[in-house]
Amino acid sequence: MAVVDEPVLRLSGVGKHYGGVRALSGVDLEIAQGECVALVGDNGAGKSTLVRILSGAHQPSEGTIAFAGRPVRFRSPADALEAGIATTYQDLALAPHLTIAQNIYMGGELLLRPHFLGLLDKARMRREARGYLDRFGFAVNDLDRPVSDLSGGQQQAVALARALRWQARVVIMDEPTAALGVGETRMVLDLIRALGAQKVTVILVSHDMDDVVAVTQRIIVLKRGRKVGEVVTARVSPSTLAHTIMTGEIPPEASAA
Amino acid sequence: MRPLVARFGTALAACAVFAFFALTADGFLAPYNLLGIAKQISHIAILAIGFSLALTAAELDLSFANIASLAAVACGMLVHTHHSPVLAVAAGLGLGLAGGLLNGAVVTLLKVPSLIATLAVAAIANGLAFLLTGGVSVVGRWPTSFTAIGRGVWLGVPMPVWWMALVALAALWFLKQTRTGFRLVCTGEATQAAALAGVKVKHMKLLGLALSGLCAGLAAVILTASLSSAAPNMASDMLLTAIAAVMLGMTMFEPGTPNIPGTLVGALTIGMLANGLVLLGAPYYVQDIVLGLIIIASVATSASVLTRAAFAV
Repeated sequence: MAVVDEPVLRLSGVGKHYGGVRALSGVDLEIAQGECVALVGDNGAGKSTLVRILSGAHQPSEGTIAFAGRPVRFRSPADALEAGIATTYQDLALAPHLTIAQNIYMGGELLLRPHFLGLLDKARMRREARGYLDRFGFAVNDLDRPVSDLSGGQQQAVALARALRWQARVVIMDEPTAALGVGETRMVLDLIRALGAQKVTVILVSHDMDDVVAVTQRIIVLKRGRKVGEVVTARVSPSTLAHTIMTGEIPPEASAA
Repeated sequence: MRPLVARFGTALAACAVFAFFALTADGFLAPYNLLGIAKQISHIAILAIGFSLALTAAELDLSFANIASLAAVACGMLVHTHHSPVLAVAAGLGLGLAGGLLNGAVVTLLKVPSLIATLAVAAIANGLAFLLTGGVSVVGRWPTSFTAIGRGVWLGVPMPVWWMALVALAALWFLKQTRTGFRLVCTGEATQAAALAGVKVKHMKLLGLALSGLCAGLAAVILTASLSSAAPNMASDMLLTAIAAVMLGMTMFEPGTPNIPGTLVGALTIGMLANGLVLLGAPYYVQDIVLGLIIIASVATSASVLTRAAFAV
């Protein structure tokens, strides 16, 4: 049920301290390819720290991370992206005035041959961008529209299309529904399911228990910088999950470990 | 409908300015006057394109006019002392580029905001220009192989206008067709997002400022050749004019973003205003008042990158 033989991500004893402050310690974690897991916990539980480590923004002070079976140490988010771990942030990662196609290929442009000339292959980028968006069922007629014209859910689709462009095997989504209305939230949850159907691993960080219960298979609970346990999503309700986050006590009948 | 007004509103206003002067100012429509305007704005347009490129990376370059003056006196002194025109041109371009690189280094390595860094470099360039010349102009009968850069005419069109067209096309092609140009745009539009996507934003900011310096060097060479003279403050008047052209340009075609066609139309509009006002008999200082108003009106309506660049610390 929980983890298959070859996890795409394996964390052993990962910890982080900033000066004398311990933000995270001793986190062991395995996530399978195509799995959708949630990271939950109260403020200060260590979610953001763990996300920053996985996305390459911060480096762990201790412990090891193996990605696709190989130990990795990312120096920057760009490093992690290149390796195949993409992160979508609440609002930082898109350039609002640039077009949909430009946003998808920012930093990873396709070039005309010979490549050393550095000339953009706009036609191919447009064509392939459409293909990535199609995979989310987002039929966009004009790829030259600025991203700021799109709804919040559609912007998430663009951010995820960018992850697909990088052939990401793991996508970390940090509060993807925080600023969205009901309909838009439903759209993002569908996007997450679509990623799962394409065997892309999703790590969802969310304060919304309904969302977490709706799309994930497994929930990692953090408290005061430690992992207190894992929950099989099918065995909890949003309200028991909220209780678990507050107390840090995993209901025995729902525990995954 | 509204996006159309936003994109082409000021360009239409420029046409209205043109029509107004065509109807009211005697001699405005004469071919030599129109070519004269184009020649007059060519240096300013090249400086303005440089400023646009730095601003595209969300950095302000307030030093280009003083860097141009410094490059002009270096170039002029070399020609004056009978050095090869090739060396003089190389010195002008090289000093411009060096000034731009200095700006870029101060901004990216020392983390001084470009608003301050380029003001400081402007002061340094100004001081050096006066130091080099002892405060006097260099004037002389220079070889035509040099002066042709600014005074030559090809197909009936003065050389500076050709240079302006060449720089504009090169800048446009760079921004629209090359990966580096696109990344320059990304850096200015969303610095953080670009960095997260692996764009080396510091290199891009350095590049934008370096290109602005290079344009200043080129404008200086052309100006020196057209005037057959160089003075340590010869380009200082062009600072505000070029910035006004860019600001005005940012209200058209791609509102809120520095763009090359807008910058050209902006420079042309300002050139027409200056020319037309003179033909109508207005005192020259009226131009300054008009420039100031243009800058305020343009920035108030659309200048998102500019405000970000000015207040980025």
